Amino acid sequence: MKKELIQLQHISKSFDGNMVLDDLNLTIHENSFVTLLGPSGCGKTTTLRIIGGFERPDEGKVIFDGQDITSLAPNKRQLNTVFQKYALFTHMDVAENIAFGLKIKNKPSNYIKDKIKYALKLVNLEGFEHRMPDSLSGGQQQRVAIARAIVNEPKVLLLDEPLGALDLKLRQDMQYELIRLKNELGITFIYVTHDQEEALTMSDHIVVMNQGYIQQEGSPEQIYNEPENAFVADFIGDSNILHATMVRDELVNILGTDFVCVDKGFGENNPVDVVIRPEDIELVPRGKGTLPGVVTNVIFKGVHYEMDVEAGGYEWLVHSTRLNEVGSEIDISVDPFNIQVMNKPESEDEKALSVEDA
Amino acid sequence: MFTNRKTSFVMSSPYLAWALIFIIVPIGMVFYYGLTDTTGAFTFENIASIAQPEHSKALWLAIELALISTLICFLLAYPLALILARNKMSSDGILTTLIILPMWMNFLLRTLSWVTLLENRGVLNSILGALHLPQLYIINTPAAIVVGMVYDFLPFMILPLYNSLAKIDDAVINAAQDLGANKLQTLWHVILPLSLPGILSGVTMVFIPSLTTFAISTMMGGSKILLIGNVIEQEFTLTYNWHLGSGLSLVLMVFIVINMVVSMISDQGED
Amino acid sequence: MKNMKPLEKIYFWVILAFMYLPIVTLIVLSFNKSKSRAHWGGFTFNWYIRLFSDSAILNALANTLIIALIATIAATIIGTVTCVALGGLNRRTRAFIMGITNIPMINADIVTGISLMLLFRILHFQSGFITVLIAHITFNIPYVMLSVMPRMKTISPSVYEAALDLGAKPWYAFRKTILPDLAPAIFSGALMAFTMSLDDFIITYFTKGSGFDTLSTKIYNEIKRGIQPEIYALSAIMFTLVLVLIFASNRMRTVQRKDSDLTEKQIKFRNIRNVVVVSAAGLGIIYLALLFGGVFTKNSNQVYVYNYGEYIDPEVIKMFQEETGIEVVYDEYETNEIMFAKIASDPSSYDVVCPSDYMVSRMINLDMVEPLDYEQLPNTLEHIGKQYFETMEAFDPGNQYAVPYFWGTVGILYNTNMVDDPVTSWDILWNPKYKGEILMQDSVRDAFMIPMIRNGFSINTVDPAEIEIATQDLIDQSPLVQAYVVDQVRDKMIGNEAALGVIYSGEALYCQWENPDLEYVVPDEGSLVWFDSWVITKNARNKENALKWIDFLSRPEIALMNFEFITYSVPNETAREMIEDEELRNSEIAFPGEEILNRCYSEEYLGEEGEKLYAEAWKKVKSAN
Repeated sequence: MKKELIQLQHISKSFDGNMVLDDLNLTIHENSFVTLLGPSGCGKTTTLRIIGGFERPDEGKVIFDGQDITSLAPNKRQLNTVFQKYALFTHMDVAENIAFGLKIKNKPSNYIKDKIKYALKLVNLEGFEHRMPDSLSGGQQQRVAIARAIVNEPKVLLLDEPLGALDLKLRQDMQYELIRLKNELGITFIYVTHDQEEALTMSDHIVVMNQGYIQQEGSPEQIYNEPENAFVADFIGDSNILHATMVRDELVNILGTDFVCVDKGFGENNPVDVVIRPEDIELVPRGKGTLPGVVTNVIFKGVHYEMDVEAGGYEWLVHSTRLNEVGSEIDISVDPFNIQVMNKPESEDEKALSVEDA
Repeated sequence: MFTNRKTSFVMSSPYLAWALIFIIVPIGMVFYYGLTDTTGAFTFENIASIAQPEHSKALWLAIELALISTLICFLLAYPLALILARNKMSSDGILTTLIILPMWMNFLLRTLSWVTLLENRGVLNSILGALHLPQLYIINTPAAIVVGMVYDFLPFMILPLYNSLAKIDDAVINAAQDLGANKLQTLWHVILPLSLPGILSGVTMVFIPSLTTFAISTMMGGSKILLIGNVIEQEFTLTYNWHLGSGLSLVLMVFIVINMVVSMISDQGED
Repeated sequence: MKNMKPLEKIYFWVILAFMYLPIVTLIVLSFNKSKSRAHWGGFTFNWYIRLFSDSAILNALANTLIIALIATIAATIIGTVTCVALGGLNRRTRAFIMGITNIPMINADIVTGISLMLLFRILHFQSGFITVLIAHITFNIPYVMLSVMPRMKTISPSVYEAALDLGAKPWYAFRKTILPDLAPAIFSGALMAFTMSLDDFIITYFTKGSGFDTLSTKIYNEIKRGIQPEIYALSAIMFTLVLVLIFASNRMRTVQRKDSDLTEKQIKFRNIRNVVVVSAAGLGIIYLALLFGGVFTKNSNQVYVYNYGEYIDPEVIKMFQEETGIEVVYDEYETNEIMFAKIASDPSSYDVVCPSDYMVSRMINLDMVEPLDYEQLPNTLEHIGKQYFETMEAFDPGNQYAVPYFWGTVGILYNTNMVDDPVTSWDILWNPKYKGEILMQDSVRDAFMIPMIRNGFSINTVDPAEIEIATQDLIDQSPLVQAYVVDQVRDKMIGNEAALGVIYSGEALYCQWENPDLEYVVPDEGSLVWFDSWVITKNARNKENALKWIDFLSRPEIALMNFEFITYSVPNETAREMIEDEELRNSEIAFPGEEILNRCYSEEYLGEEGEKLYAEAWKKVKSAN
């Protein structure tokens, strides 16, 4: 296990009486790429700002490298931030922007010069030293913002939806760039986004948040394949989320039909939520599957077909490379391993986004 | 955009005619009078007369007082504008309204209030007297004129500063702190340069009227102190020497042009 | 506010106090029974009552409003139309026009004012309402354009083109698509223009003509005469008005923002209501202006009178108007030189003016006055003492041009509580003991008279060496001088603001009535005896009426009224005999005896070169500080 670098302990924060974070606990390990993922208003940015020092939590502590930094001013923290809209200093050129932190720390000018060169090389902006930020494209500005942060050799880089303002292609390129950067620098990245694909692509560790609570943490695979509740399941990728009853261990009743699954420990005849990813559903000829249904709609998506299947009174979303024409009468079949059983949400807030609404 | 070329000309011609008759021609007349003598002969004498001690003195004093007033206005206004902007007081909020409200009162009345306060046996001294404190004798001195200028023109400094400060994104200030700058360094390296357009327009809006005023100096200075504005005014209303008055106005215009060029250059440095 | 840190809060309130305490002071003083600023004499509404019975101030208020309103409307229309048109011009033309537009914004008000004044003078525009209006429109257009232009640039023509595409006519399409988008910018530009127009003093000061004042110029005049508590009342009213207006408009805006969910019908109703409210307000202002301003009701039967400040019983003007039906347009000046500059630059601005001796002579020499028709001056011939006409021969040979009004001496008014030395000589004005307690006359010749007499020179010397010495004397004196004033000397001496003041004899009597500690002396070295008389200007437009005016003032009962009001020596023999108050009739101040007159001299016209010498010397004195 890697060293624990940052610990958030019992953090609560509210703005004008609105609880944004409620007793949040989070540990971030050294040299990891952690993503705080959630819809807007979930508290992810506030969490980041508390780590960065821009907000003071109402309650709780921020421990950095064993030291309590809860009330330490942002300029005294060993971490740097890449802001959502870059927040470049428009009155300075690229080099001056990058040199800002180093000049504040009174580093020698030769050192600063080398650092600027190094940083610009790192973000592929060689030769841009004397351009003004206004004359750069969004992607270029983003690179400058990153360069400006990393020249200070922070132990942690905080990134607040840094790719939000970029177009799709650029965003994908930058995702790879960021992974490469993290590997080259060997420091901790804490990344905030509402884009699940971004989170899955880049992170070592994803923290899914909603309404001020952590819903689930884990590796991208864990988050995707084993969502712990309906919210996570729904937020991460397309999915079929259904009410079900756990008949007994390894058997779940979905829409009146029993499905074999691999989950245990949910008790007997307990209501649960079930997630089945659209690509995990197989459409087989009538009589060969578990649940009979009819294809009602088909859209060609390039890599696969997206089909709606009416079965058991539910509209199933199915992704498949094999086409079934509209009106085909088929059966639904699911590998037991691909049925993810989850507890029903417990807290009031979680209920707010339970299956029906999600 | 909404009109073709011909319509555009027709539609803009009333203003062009207006501007020609009431802006260009009058300025031309100032040049004409400034560069001729009573016989109509060309001369530089009117402009050169700025070198006469009584004129140059009035000019330097005006520059000095205008600079001091501008500086004081800036020092008073900047923290206030910063407080208002950083606390997200919207421009139509009550507090901001309070700041601009005095601007709506006639500026002669505003000046009068300070005459009333600062008179030797005025309000301030009678209060000081009642408290057994030393009396303040500054009416009819340059200091009183500065007080008048600062009071009259302070809102003209606050507003543009506020407008430019309110435009600065919080994230930029956070970024500076994030990069290790303390509050003072953030102010100096980030906030101040980013509010430069506001500073320039505030400085212009205080400096030019201060430099050219004659009413404030007359009221607060007891006609004892001549600023360049007073000299020019008197050439027209007292000595009846349009040529000299115009010549000195041309000198004044040089300063206005300098001010304009300086702010244009600094503005260009921005982008 | 609640997020502010304590230090920020304190700073905010300190600045607010700095901005508001002076205004609060004015408001408090507007209820002070005593004219003094130093002590509270009890509560009164008197100043408000006097303010509202002062038609001149109400007139000026009406003028201010109507000028601001018309100028704003005109500037808004011209500015908006031009901005729309600029879109169709190429970049260079556009930049050029915007460059011109910037001139009045960047230029100093004083230069703009002067430049327009020069234009109006050269074109022989009669200054007044129209010239001020033109000036205001000129400096208002840029505010509208600079507000509308940036908005114009952000508007995409596609909506407009879409409207055309759907069959709308250009004007209809413009009105429905572009105008609503421009409206906020137009409105804020118009508001800015209105504010600037209301607040303007300098440009109005240079472009206004005879008999026309806005509030700014009126206040300036009033303040120059000394602080009148009515002006405090005016400040209080203005402030309250502005306060109410701003908060009302603020409220309206908040309310409007909330009603985004109104139905279209309701919005339409509100728009109509707004139009009605605005037009009602506009009509109200115009009505007020008509009521007080008489802007459009130009009575052709007028006489334009230009007189010294506080130099007539206002009742007399009313009586003249009632009796003759001639409307008196009455303005005041402070010194001969100001009057001269005004008449010289705008010869037809006034019909009848009241210069002193040397100035009468100067105006005769420069052919600026009209010979009198004595047939129309029966009262003058009958009641004015013959010896005065003889004296006047010195500056008006043959008594062709001038009719005596009042005469008097110049002396020192001093406060017996503040001066313990005997006051017998002008020297006391050079006594460092009274530093900051001395008021000098802000009038060239009268100021120079003092060092001339002190040095034993003629008060009419044109010897550069003697002028040089006198100049140096005045420069030496200037650190001791509290202020150079004309009409304010009264107010300041009565208010114990100064210990010693150079003053004209008639004012001395008035001051003594108001403040018994004051004493008047004509110094032993001698002084000035002056003669003010009425003359009719060469280019007068109402010469007949001017004669009627002069003769009216020569009536004994009228001259008596004026005497009792201003207490200068009256040359009207009949009137003098009618003075009832024995003390006043025999007052040494009102009617100096032989002993005093023997050491007094009159000022003579020194030729344009001579006058120029004095003017330049005076400028040196004034800039000595």
